[in-house]
Amino acid sequence: MAEIAHTADRRLLARRSPWGELFRKEDWWAIWIGLGLIGVAVALFAGGSSIKWIAVAPQKWSHLSDVTLQLKQHGLQYAALFVLWAVAFGIGAAALGIKISRFLPAFLLVYLAAGALYFLGQWDQAAHYNLEPPLVALGLGLLISNTLGVPRWLDPGMRVEFYIKTGIVLLGAGLPLTLIAWAGPVAIVQAAIVSLATFGAIYFAAIGLGLDRRLAATLGTGGAVCGVSGAIAVGGAVGAKKEHVSVAISLVVVWAIVMIFVLPLVSRALGLSTGVAGAWIGTSEFADAAGLAAAQTYGGYAGSVPGIAGSPDAAVSAFTLMKVIGRDVWIGVWAFVLSLIATTRWERTGVQSKSSAAEIWNRFPKFVLGFLVASAVLTLVTRGFDYAAYKKEVVPALVAPLQAFRTWAFTFAFLSIGLTTRIREFASIGARPFYAFTIGVVVNVILGFVLSTQVFSAFWNRLGQ
Amino acid sequence: MKRADLAAAACRQCKHFQNDAKQVEAALPGLSSLSSAYAAVRCDDGICAVHERYIAASSICPAFEEGYAFA
Repeated sequence: MAEIAHTADRRLLARRSPWGELFRKEDWWAIWIGLGLIGVAVALFAGGSSIKWIAVAPQKWSHLSDVTLQLKQHGLQYAALFVLWAVAFGIGAAALGIKISRFLPAFLLVYLAAGALYFLGQWDQAAHYNLEPPLVALGLGLLISNTLGVPRWLDPGMRVEFYIKTGIVLLGAGLPLTLIAWAGPVAIVQAAIVSLATFGAIYFAAIGLGLDRRLAATLGTGGAVCGVSGAIAVGGAVGAKKEHVSVAISLVVVWAIVMIFVLPLVSRALGLSTGVAGAWIGTSEFADAAGLAAAQTYGGYAGSVPGIAGSPDAAVSAFTLMKVIGRDVWIGVWAFVLSLIATTRWERTGVQSKSSAAEIWNRFPKFVLGFLVASAVLTLVTRGFDYAAYKKEVVPALVAPLQAFRTWAFTFAFLSIGLTTRIREFASIGARPFYAFTIGVVVNVILGFVLSTQVFSAFWNRLGQ
Repeated sequence: MKRADLAAAACRQCKHFQNDAKQVEAALPGLSSLSSAYAAVRCDDGICAVHERYIAASSICPAFEEGYAFA
Protein backbone atom coordinates (compact mmCIF):
# COMPACT_ATOMS: atom_id res chain seq x y z
CA MET A 1 0.00 0.00 0.00
CA ALA A 2 2.78 2.40 1.00
CA GLU A 3 4.58 1.69 -2.26
CA ILE A 4 1.46 2.34 -4.29
CA ALA A 5 0.85 5.57 -2.40
CA HIS A 6 4.45 6.64 -2.95
CA THR A 7 4.25 5.85 -6.66
CA ALA A 8 0.94 7.66 -6.89
CA ASP A 9 2.39 10.71 -5.18
CA ARG A 10 5.44 10.73 -7.44
CA ARG A 11 3.33 10.43 -10.58
CA LEU A 12 0.92 12.99 -9.29
CA LEU A 13 3.75 15.46 -8.78
CA ALA A 14 5.16 14.68 -12.21
CA ARG A 15 1.79 15.21 -13.85
CA ARG A 16 1.04 18.40 -11.93
CA SER A 17 4.38 20.07 -12.54
CA PRO A 18 3.81 23.43 -14.24
CA TRP A 19 6.98 22.90 -16.26
CA GLY A 20 5.84 19.51 -17.49
CA GLU A 21 2.82 21.26 -18.96
CA LEU A 22 5.13 23.11 -21.36
CA PHE A 23 5.99 19.84 -23.12
CA ARG A 24 2.91 17.65 -22.81
CA LYS A 25 0.24 19.88 -24.35
CA GLU A 26 0.00 20.61 -28.04
CA ASP A 27 -0.76 24.29 -27.37
CA TRP A 28 2.78 24.75 -26.10
CA TRP A 29 4.30 22.73 -28.94
CA ALA A 30 2.40 24.93 -31.41
CA ILE A 31 4.04 27.89 -29.70
CA TRP A 32 7.54 26.36 -29.78
CA ILE A 33 7.23 25.46 -33.45
CA GLY A 34 5.55 28.69 -34.57
CA LEU A 35 7.80 31.00 -32.60
CA GLY A 36 10.84 28.89 -33.48
CA LEU A 37 10.19 29.43 -37.19
CA ILE A 38 9.53 33.13 -36.62
CA GLY A 39 12.72 33.44 -34.55
CA VAL A 40 14.86 31.85 -37.26
CA ALA A 41 13.16 33.96 -39.95
CA VAL A 42 13.76 37.17 -38.00
CA ALA A 43 17.38 36.26 -37.24
CA LEU A 44 18.10 35.58 -40.91
CA PHE A 45 16.32 38.79 -41.93
CA ALA A 46 18.34 40.79 -39.41
CA GLY A 47 21.51 39.27 -40.86
CA GLY A 48 20.57 40.38 -44.36
CA SER A 49 19.39 36.95 -45.46
CA SER A 50 15.99 35.21 -45.60
CA ILE A 51 14.27 31.95 -44.74
CA LYS A 52 12.41 32.06 -48.05
CA TRP A 53 14.43 29.27 -49.71
CA ILE A 54 12.84 26.64 -47.49
CA ALA A 55 9.44 28.37 -47.24
CA VAL A 56 8.65 27.22 -50.74
CA ALA A 57 5.09 27.51 -52.03
CA PRO A 58 3.40 26.77 -55.36
CA GLN A 59 3.06 29.71 -57.76
CA LYS A 60 0.19 30.53 -60.11
CA TRP A 61 -0.02 28.15 -63.08
CA SER A 62 -2.15 27.61 -66.18
CA HIS A 63 -1.03 24.26 -67.61
CA LEU A 64 0.14 21.02 -66.01
CA SER A 65 3.51 21.53 -67.67
CA ASP A 66 3.93 24.62 -65.43
CA VAL A 67 3.46 22.41 -62.37
CA THR A 68 6.04 19.93 -63.63
CA LEU A 69 8.47 22.76 -64.22
CA GLN A 70 7.92 24.19 -60.73
CA LEU A 71 8.48 20.77 -59.18
CA LYS A 72 11.67 20.28 -61.18
CA GLN A 73 13.02 23.70 -60.25
CA HIS A 74 12.08 23.54 -56.58
CA GLY A 75 12.05 19.79 -55.84
CA LEU A 76 14.93 20.05 -53.38
CA GLN A 77 13.20 22.88 -51.53
CA TYR A 78 9.98 20.86 -51.22
CA ALA A 79 12.00 17.93 -49.86
CA ALA A 80 13.79 20.21 -47.37
CA LEU A 81 10.47 21.72 -46.30
CA PHE A 82 9.11 18.23 -45.64
CA VAL A 83 12.13 17.45 -43.47
CA LEU A 84 11.63 20.71 -41.57
CA TRP A 85 7.96 20.03 -40.87
CA ALA A 86 8.59 16.35 -40.13
CA VAL A 87 11.27 17.21 -37.56
CA ALA A 88 9.25 20.01 -35.95
CA PHE A 89 5.92 18.20 -35.76
CA GLY A 90 7.63 14.85 -35.18
CA ILE A 91 9.40 16.08 -32.04
CA GLY A 92 6.16 17.62 -30.83
CA ALA A 93 4.18 14.46 -31.55
CA ALA A 94 6.80 12.32 -29.78
CA ALA A 95 6.62 14.57 -26.71
CA LEU A 96 2.84 14.14 -26.72
CA GLY A 97 3.28 10.37 -26.66
CA ILE A 98 2.66 9.65 -30.34
CA LYS A 99 5.25 7.18 -31.65
CA ILE A 100 7.45 8.93 -34.19
CA SER A 101 7.67 5.74 -36.26
CA ARG A 102 3.88 5.91 -36.63
CA PHE A 103 3.73 9.68 -37.11
CA LEU A 104 6.26 10.08 -39.93
CA PRO A 105 4.77 7.76 -42.59
CA ALA A 106 1.33 9.24 -41.96
CA PHE A 107 2.67 12.79 -42.08
CA LEU A 108 4.46 12.09 -45.37
CA LEU A 109 1.11 11.29 -46.94
CA VAL A 110 -0.51 14.36 -45.37
CA TYR A 111 2.34 16.52 -46.72
CA LEU A 112 2.03 15.13 -50.25
CA ALA A 113 -1.75 15.52 -50.29
CA ALA A 114 -1.48 19.05 -48.85
CA GLY A 115 1.06 19.92 -51.55
CA ALA A 116 -1.32 18.70 -54.24
CA LEU A 117 -4.12 20.84 -52.77
CA TYR A 118 -1.84 23.86 -52.46
CA PHE A 119 -0.97 23.51 -56.15
CA LEU A 120 -4.62 23.11 -57.05
CA GLY A 121 -5.40 26.39 -55.31
CA GLN A 122 -2.83 28.15 -57.49
CA TRP A 123 -4.47 27.05 -60.75
CA ASP A 124 -5.67 30.18 -62.52
CA GLN A 125 -9.06 28.51 -63.14
CA ALA A 126 -9.53 27.28 -59.56
CA ALA A 127 -11.91 30.08 -58.53
CA HIS A 128 -13.89 29.65 -61.76
CA TYR A 129 -14.57 25.99 -60.85
CA ASN A 130 -15.02 26.73 -57.11
CA LEU A 131 -11.93 24.67 -56.28
CA GLU A 132 -10.91 26.55 -53.14
CA PRO A 133 -8.30 24.36 -51.39
CA PRO A 134 -9.96 24.35 -47.93
CA LEU A 135 -13.28 23.23 -49.37
CA VAL A 136 -11.72 20.68 -51.71
CA ALA A 137 -9.62 19.30 -48.83
CA LEU A 138 -12.64 19.04 -46.60
CA GLY A 139 -15.01 17.63 -49.23
CA LEU A 140 -12.51 15.09 -50.49
CA GLY A 141 -11.52 14.07 -46.98
CA LEU A 142 -15.14 13.61 -45.90
CA LEU A 143 -15.91 11.60 -49.01
CA ILE A 144 -12.93 9.29 -48.54
CA SER A 145 -13.30 8.78 -44.78
CA ASN A 146 -17.03 8.08 -45.02
CA THR A 147 -17.03 5.83 -48.08
CA LEU A 148 -13.72 4.08 -48.75
CA GLY A 149 -12.47 4.63 -45.21
CA VAL A 150 -9.10 5.89 -44.04
CA PRO A 151 -6.57 3.34 -42.80
CA ARG A 152 -5.92 3.66 -39.06
CA TRP A 153 -2.17 3.97 -39.59
CA LEU A 154 -2.83 7.47 -40.94
CA ASP A 155 -4.42 8.68 -37.70
CA PRO A 156 -1.17 9.77 -35.97
CA GLY A 157 -0.42 12.18 -38.84
CA MET A 158 -3.81 13.85 -38.88
CA ARG A 159 -3.56 16.21 -35.89
CA VAL A 160 -6.02 18.95 -36.88
CA GLU A 161 -5.58 21.04 -33.75
CA PHE A 162 -1.80 20.76 -33.65
CA TYR A 163 -1.54 22.09 -37.20
CA ILE A 164 -4.20 24.77 -36.82
CA LYS A 165 -2.71 26.13 -33.59
CA THR A 166 0.75 26.26 -35.18
CA GLY A 167 -0.81 28.12 -38.12
CA ILE A 168 -2.53 30.59 -35.78
CA VAL A 169 0.76 31.33 -33.98
CA LEU A 170 2.34 32.00 -37.40
CA LEU A 171 -0.68 34.10 -38.32
CA GLY A 172 0.21 36.41 -35.41
CA ALA A 173 3.26 37.44 -37.43
CA GLY A 174 0.94 38.91 -40.06
CA LEU A 175 -1.20 40.93 -37.66
CA PRO A 176 0.41 44.03 -36.14
CA LEU A 177 -0.07 44.38 -32.41
CA THR A 178 -1.57 47.83 -33.03
CA LEU A 179 -4.29 46.24 -35.15
CA ILE A 180 -5.07 43.71 -32.43
CA ALA A 181 -5.25 46.51 -29.87
CA TRP A 182 -7.49 48.56 -32.18
CA ALA A 183 -9.84 45.76 -33.23
CA GLY A 184 -9.69 43.54 -30.16
CA PRO A 185 -12.19 45.47 -27.99
CA VAL A 186 -14.81 45.55 -30.75
CA ALA A 187 -14.28 41.82 -31.35
CA ILE A 188 -14.69 41.14 -27.64
CA VAL A 189 -17.92 43.18 -27.42
CA GLN A 190 -19.45 41.54 -30.50
CA ALA A 191 -18.36 38.07 -29.43
CA ALA A 192 -19.64 38.60 -25.87
CA ILE A 193 -23.10 39.61 -27.10
CA VAL A 194 -23.35 36.61 -29.40
CA SER A 195 -21.80 34.14 -26.94
CA LEU A 196 -24.15 35.08 -24.11
CA ALA A 197 -27.21 35.03 -26.39
CA THR A 198 -26.24 31.70 -27.97
CA PHE A 199 -25.42 30.05 -24.66
CA GLY A 200 -28.69 31.29 -23.18
CA ALA A 201 -30.69 30.08 -26.17
CA ILE A 202 -29.17 26.58 -26.11
CA TYR A 203 -29.15 26.22 -22.33
CA PHE A 204 -32.74 27.31 -21.74
CA ALA A 205 -34.02 25.44 -24.80
CA ALA A 206 -32.32 22.29 -23.47
CA ILE A 207 -33.75 22.76 -19.98
CA GLY A 208 -37.17 23.46 -21.50
CA LEU A 209 -36.89 20.20 -23.43
CA GLY A 210 -36.17 18.35 -20.18
CA LEU A 211 -32.46 17.73 -20.69
CA ASP A 212 -29.89 17.41 -17.90
CA ARG A 213 -28.34 20.72 -16.77
CA ARG A 214 -24.80 19.52 -17.33
CA LEU A 215 -25.65 18.44 -20.87
CA ALA A 216 -27.33 21.81 -21.43
CA ALA A 217 -24.20 23.66 -20.26
CA THR A 218 -21.90 21.45 -22.36
CA LEU A 219 -24.03 21.99 -25.47
CA GLY A 220 -24.31 25.70 -24.74
CA THR A 221 -20.58 26.27 -24.45
CA GLY A 222 -19.91 24.13 -27.50
CA GLY A 223 -22.19 26.39 -29.53
CA ALA A 224 -21.33 29.70 -27.91
CA VAL A 225 -17.64 29.72 -27.12
CA CYS A 226 -15.20 27.45 -28.88
CA GLY A 227 -16.86 24.39 -30.30
CA VAL A 228 -15.55 20.96 -29.37
CA SER A 229 -12.86 22.49 -27.15
CA GLY A 230 -15.53 24.45 -25.30
CA ALA A 231 -17.67 21.35 -24.92
CA ILE A 232 -14.87 19.22 -23.44
CA ALA A 233 -13.62 22.04 -21.19
CA VAL A 234 -17.03 22.65 -19.66
CA GLY A 235 -18.05 18.98 -19.81
CA GLY A 236 -15.05 18.17 -17.60
CA ALA A 237 -15.50 21.19 -15.34
CA VAL A 238 -19.14 20.36 -14.54
CA GLY A 239 -18.72 16.56 -14.60
CA ALA A 240 -21.06 15.77 -17.50
CA LYS A 241 -22.02 12.22 -18.40
CA LYS A 242 -19.61 10.69 -20.89
CA GLU A 243 -22.32 10.08 -23.49
CA HIS A 244 -23.48 13.69 -23.13
CA VAL A 245 -20.01 14.96 -24.00
CA SER A 246 -20.09 12.68 -27.05
CA VAL A 247 -23.46 14.10 -28.08
CA ALA A 248 -22.14 17.67 -27.78
CA ILE A 249 -19.03 16.78 -29.82
CA SER A 250 -21.11 15.19 -32.57
CA LEU A 251 -23.48 18.16 -32.79
CA VAL A 252 -20.66 20.71 -32.88
CA VAL A 253 -18.73 18.82 -35.57
CA VAL A 254 -21.79 18.32 -37.79
CA TRP A 255 -22.89 21.97 -37.57
CA ALA A 256 -19.35 23.29 -37.90
CA ILE A 257 -18.86 21.35 -41.12
CA VAL A 258 -22.21 22.52 -42.48
CA MET A 259 -21.18 26.12 -41.71
CA ILE A 260 -17.84 25.78 -43.52
CA PHE A 261 -19.84 25.53 -46.73
CA VAL A 262 -22.89 27.69 -45.86
CA LEU A 263 -21.25 30.85 -44.46
CA PRO A 264 -18.90 31.54 -47.41
CA LEU A 265 -21.69 30.64 -49.85
CA VAL A 266 -24.21 33.06 -48.31
CA SER A 267 -21.56 35.77 -47.84
CA ARG A 268 -20.62 35.44 -51.50
CA ALA A 269 -24.25 35.58 -52.63
CA LEU A 270 -24.71 38.77 -50.58
CA GLY A 271 -21.42 40.25 -51.81
CA LEU A 272 -20.07 40.86 -48.31
CA SER A 273 -16.60 42.36 -48.05
CA THR A 274 -13.84 40.07 -46.80
CA GLY A 275 -13.58 41.89 -43.45
CA VAL A 276 -17.33 41.71 -42.77
CA ALA A 277 -17.59 38.07 -43.87
CA GLY A 278 -14.57 37.15 -41.72
CA ALA A 279 -16.19 38.78 -38.70
CA TRP A 280 -19.44 36.94 -39.33
CA ILE A 281 -17.64 33.62 -39.73
CA GLY A 282 -15.68 34.34 -36.55
CA THR A 283 -18.90 34.98 -34.68
CA SER A 284 -20.97 32.14 -36.07
CA GLU A 285 -18.56 29.27 -36.72
CA PHE A 286 -18.05 26.83 -33.87
CA ALA A 287 -14.44 25.71 -34.17
CA ASP A 288 -11.16 27.39 -35.06
CA ALA A 289 -10.16 24.92 -37.77
CA ALA A 290 -13.61 24.97 -39.38
CA GLY A 291 -13.80 28.75 -39.23
CA LEU A 292 -10.35 29.21 -40.71
CA ALA A 293 -11.31 26.90 -43.58
CA ALA A 294 -14.38 29.07 -44.25
CA ALA A 295 -12.51 32.37 -43.80
CA GLN A 296 -9.57 31.35 -46.01
CA THR A 297 -12.01 30.20 -48.66
CA TYR A 298 -13.74 33.57 -48.59
CA GLY A 299 -10.46 35.48 -48.61
CA GLY A 300 -9.63 33.60 -51.80
CA TYR A 301 -12.66 35.20 -53.49
CA ALA A 302 -11.15 38.68 -53.16
CA GLY A 303 -9.86 39.72 -56.54
CA SER A 304 -11.19 36.64 -58.29
CA VAL A 305 -14.95 36.94 -57.72
CA PRO A 306 -16.52 40.21 -58.93
CA GLY A 307 -18.16 42.29 -56.21
CA ILE A 308 -16.14 40.97 -53.25
CA ALA A 309 -14.36 43.95 -51.73
CA GLY A 310 -11.47 43.92 -49.27
CA SER A 311 -8.07 42.31 -49.11
CA PRO A 312 -7.70 38.50 -49.19
CA ASP A 313 -6.10 38.47 -45.73
CA ALA A 314 -8.91 40.50 -44.14
CA ALA A 315 -11.26 37.51 -43.88
CA VAL A 316 -8.74 35.44 -41.92
CA SER A 317 -7.66 38.47 -39.83
CA ALA A 318 -11.23 39.42 -38.89
CA PHE A 319 -12.07 35.79 -38.19
CA THR A 320 -9.05 35.36 -35.93
CA LEU A 321 -9.71 38.55 -33.98
CA MET A 322 -13.33 37.57 -33.46
CA LYS A 323 -12.85 33.88 -32.71
CA VAL A 324 -9.51 33.73 -30.94
CA ILE A 325 -9.49 37.08 -29.10
CA GLY A 326 -13.25 37.49 -28.80
CA ARG A 327 -14.29 33.95 -27.88
CA ASP A 328 -11.55 31.36 -27.29
CA VAL A 329 -9.67 33.18 -24.54
CA TRP A 330 -12.76 33.23 -22.30
CA ILE A 331 -13.20 29.47 -22.08
CA GLY A 332 -11.51 29.30 -18.66
CA VAL A 333 -13.93 31.87 -17.29
CA TRP A 334 -16.92 29.95 -18.65
CA ALA A 335 -15.57 26.70 -17.18
CA PHE A 336 -14.93 28.28 -13.77
CA VAL A 337 -18.34 29.97 -13.52
CA LEU A 338 -20.23 26.89 -14.66
CA SER A 339 -18.27 24.55 -12.38
CA LEU A 340 -19.04 26.88 -9.48
CA ILE A 341 -22.74 26.80 -10.31
CA ALA A 342 -22.65 23.02 -10.84
CA THR A 343 -21.05 22.32 -7.47
CA THR A 344 -23.23 24.73 -5.51
CA ARG A 345 -26.59 24.75 -7.26
CA TRP A 346 -27.13 21.65 -9.37
CA GLU A 347 -28.10 18.14 -8.31
CA ARG A 348 -25.24 15.96 -7.05
CA THR A 349 -23.70 13.28 -9.25
CA GLY A 350 -21.71 11.10 -6.87
CA VAL A 351 -18.51 12.82 -7.97
CA GLN A 352 -17.52 15.97 -6.12
CA SER A 353 -15.81 18.55 -8.32
CA LYS A 354 -13.53 21.21 -6.93
CA SER A 355 -14.28 24.63 -8.29
CA SER A 356 -11.30 26.96 -8.33
CA ALA A 357 -10.37 30.23 -10.00
CA ALA A 358 -7.17 28.47 -11.12
CA GLU A 359 -9.45 26.88 -13.73
CA ILE A 360 -9.33 30.16 -15.67
CA TRP A 361 -5.61 29.79 -16.34
CA ASN A 362 -5.52 25.99 -16.44
CA ARG A 363 -8.03 25.88 -19.29
CA PHE A 364 -6.71 28.96 -21.07
CA PRO A 365 -5.89 28.10 -24.71
CA LYS A 366 -2.17 28.77 -24.38
CA PHE A 367 -1.49 28.94 -28.13
CA VAL A 368 -3.09 32.41 -28.03
CA LEU A 369 -0.01 33.59 -26.12
CA GLY A 370 2.15 32.47 -29.03
CA PHE A 371 -0.13 34.35 -31.43
CA LEU A 372 0.29 37.57 -29.40
CA VAL A 373 4.06 37.16 -28.98
CA ALA A 374 4.42 36.56 -32.74
CA SER A 375 2.48 39.74 -33.41
CA ALA A 376 4.61 41.73 -30.95
CA VAL A 377 7.88 40.42 -32.42
CA LEU A 378 6.97 41.31 -36.00
CA THR A 379 5.60 44.70 -34.95
CA LEU A 380 8.89 45.43 -33.23
CA VAL A 381 11.07 44.17 -36.08
CA THR A 382 9.22 46.09 -38.78
CA ARG A 383 8.60 49.39 -36.97
CA GLY A 384 11.60 51.19 -38.53
CA PHE A 385 10.42 50.64 -42.11
CA ASP A 386 8.22 53.04 -44.06
CA TYR A 387 5.47 51.55 -46.26
CA ALA A 388 7.56 51.44 -49.46
CA ALA A 389 10.51 49.79 -47.74
CA TYR A 390 8.18 47.38 -45.96
CA LYS A 391 6.67 46.24 -49.28
CA LYS A 392 10.03 46.04 -51.02
CA GLU A 393 12.22 44.52 -48.31
CA VAL A 394 10.23 43.10 -45.41
CA VAL A 395 7.41 41.37 -47.27
CA PRO A 396 9.47 39.20 -49.66
CA ALA A 397 12.21 38.35 -47.16
CA LEU A 398 10.20 37.92 -43.97
CA VAL A 399 6.41 38.25 -44.13
CA ALA A 400 5.74 36.19 -47.29
CA PRO A 401 7.81 33.17 -46.16
CA LEU A 402 6.02 33.14 -42.79
CA GLN A 403 2.73 33.40 -44.66
CA ALA A 404 3.75 30.37 -46.74
CA PHE A 405 4.54 28.37 -43.57
CA ARG A 406 1.12 29.35 -42.21
CA THR A 407 -0.68 28.27 -45.37
CA TRP A 408 1.06 24.89 -45.24
CA ALA A 409 0.08 24.39 -41.60
CA PHE A 410 -3.54 25.33 -42.33
CA THR A 411 -3.66 23.03 -45.34
CA PHE A 412 -2.44 20.10 -43.21
CA ALA A 413 -5.30 20.91 -40.83
CA PHE A 414 -8.04 21.32 -43.46
CA LEU A 415 -7.08 18.02 -45.02
CA SER A 416 -7.10 16.30 -41.64
CA ILE A 417 -10.57 17.58 -40.69
CA GLY A 418 -12.31 15.68 -43.47
CA LEU A 419 -10.18 12.57 -43.12
CA THR A 420 -10.77 12.28 -39.36
CA THR A 421 -14.53 12.95 -39.47
CA ARG A 422 -16.11 9.52 -39.56
CA ILE A 423 -19.79 10.27 -39.19
CA ARG A 424 -20.81 6.64 -38.59
CA GLU A 425 -18.67 6.63 -35.44
CA PHE A 426 -20.49 9.60 -33.94
CA ALA A 427 -22.70 9.18 -30.91
CA SER A 428 -26.42 8.90 -31.53
CA ILE A 429 -27.51 12.49 -31.00
CA GLY A 430 -31.20 12.25 -30.15
CA ALA A 431 -33.91 14.71 -31.15
CA ARG A 432 -33.99 16.95 -28.08
CA PRO A 433 -30.26 17.84 -27.98
CA PHE A 434 -30.44 18.41 -31.73
CA TYR A 435 -33.38 20.84 -31.39
CA ALA A 436 -31.77 22.69 -28.48
CA PHE A 437 -28.45 23.10 -30.28
CA THR A 438 -30.12 24.05 -33.56
CA ILE A 439 -32.07 26.83 -31.86
CA GLY A 440 -28.71 28.18 -30.70
CA VAL A 441 -27.28 27.88 -34.21
CA VAL A 442 -30.16 29.97 -35.60
CA VAL A 443 -29.74 32.65 -32.91
CA ASN A 444 -25.97 32.66 -33.38
CA VAL A 445 -26.06 32.97 -37.18
CA ILE A 446 -28.72 35.71 -37.27
CA LEU A 447 -27.24 37.76 -34.45
CA GLY A 448 -23.70 37.35 -35.84
CA PHE A 449 -24.93 38.48 -39.26
CA VAL A 450 -26.71 41.57 -37.90
CA LEU A 451 -23.75 42.64 -35.76
CA SER A 452 -21.18 42.04 -38.52
CA THR A 453 -23.10 43.52 -41.45
CA GLN A 454 -25.07 46.30 -39.70
CA VAL A 455 -23.92 47.32 -36.22
CA PHE A 456 -20.16 47.01 -36.70
CA SER A 457 -19.99 46.83 -40.52
CA ALA A 458 -18.06 50.11 -40.93
CA PHE A 459 -15.44 48.82 -38.52
CA TRP A 460 -14.99 45.44 -40.22
CA ASN A 461 -14.96 47.07 -43.67
CA ARG A 462 -12.13 49.35 -42.54
CA LEU A 463 -10.18 46.31 -41.38
CA GLY A 464 -10.47 44.89 -44.89
CA GLN A 465 -8.93 47.98 -46.44
CA MET B 1 0.34 8.09 3.42
CA LYS B 2 -2.56 7.04 5.65
CA ARG B 3 -5.54 5.11 4.34
CA ALA B 4 -7.75 8.11 5.15
CA ASP B 5 -5.59 10.32 3.00
CA LEU B 6 -5.75 7.82 0.18
CA ALA B 7 -9.54 7.68 0.42
CA ALA B 8 -9.65 11.44 0.09
CA ALA B 9 -7.25 11.45 -2.85
CA ALA B 10 -8.27 12.96 -6.13
CA CYS B 11 -9.59 11.04 -9.14
CA ARG B 12 -6.29 11.46 -10.97
CA GLN B 13 -4.90 8.79 -8.61
CA CYS B 14 -7.86 6.46 -8.96
CA LYS B 15 -7.76 3.21 -10.92
CA HIS B 16 -11.26 3.87 -12.29
CA PHE B 17 -10.14 7.14 -13.84
CA GLN B 18 -8.78 7.20 -17.39
CA ASN B 19 -7.26 10.43 -18.73
CA ASP B 20 -4.61 9.23 -21.15
CA ALA B 21 -5.08 11.43 -24.24
CA LYS B 22 -5.20 8.51 -26.68
CA GLN B 23 -7.80 6.71 -24.57
CA VAL B 24 -9.89 9.87 -24.19
CA GLU B 25 -9.90 10.39 -27.97
CA ALA B 26 -10.87 6.76 -28.49
CA ALA B 27 -13.70 7.07 -25.99
CA LEU B 28 -15.07 10.31 -27.47
CA PRO B 29 -15.42 9.85 -31.25
CA GLY B 30 -15.14 13.08 -33.21
CA LEU B 31 -13.02 14.78 -30.56
CA SER B 32 -9.92 14.83 -32.76
CA SER B 33 -11.82 16.14 -35.82
CA LEU B 34 -12.07 19.71 -34.55
CA SER B 35 -10.26 19.62 -31.22
CA SER B 36 -7.90 17.35 -29.35
CA ALA B 37 -7.34 15.49 -26.12
CA TYR B 38 -3.86 17.04 -26.12
CA ALA B 39 -5.32 20.58 -25.90
CA ALA B 40 -4.64 22.81 -22.91
CA VAL B 41 -8.38 23.41 -22.41
CA ARG B 42 -8.84 19.75 -21.46
CA CYS B 43 -6.44 20.03 -18.52
CA ASP B 44 -6.23 16.51 -17.08
CA ASP B 45 -9.92 15.68 -17.37
CA GLY B 46 -10.78 12.06 -17.96
CA ILE B 47 -13.44 9.41 -17.81
CA CYS B 48 -14.64 7.77 -14.62
CA ALA B 49 -15.54 4.14 -15.27
CA VAL B 50 -17.65 3.93 -12.11
CA HIS B 51 -19.90 6.91 -12.76
CA GLU B 52 -19.55 6.96 -16.57
CA ARG B 53 -18.81 10.65 -16.37
CA TYR B 54 -16.25 12.95 -17.93
CA ILE B 55 -14.72 14.68 -14.93
CA ALA B 56 -11.88 16.89 -13.75
CA ALA B 57 -8.85 15.03 -12.38
CA SER B 58 -9.13 17.02 -9.14
CA SER B 59 -12.59 15.59 -8.36
CA ILE B 60 -13.14 13.21 -5.46
CA CYS B 61 -15.65 10.45 -4.75
CA PRO B 62 -16.29 7.63 -2.25
CA ALA B 63 -15.55 4.93 -4.85
CA PHE B 64 -11.88 5.96 -4.99
CA GLU B 65 -9.36 3.14 -5.30
CA GLU B 66 -5.72 3.95 -5.70
CA GLY B 67 -3.92 2.99 -8.88
CA TYR B 68 -3.92 4.00 -12.53
CA ALA B 69 -6.10 2.51 -15.21
CA PHE B 70 -3.34 2.99 -17.77
CA ALA B 71 -0.42 2.00 -15.54
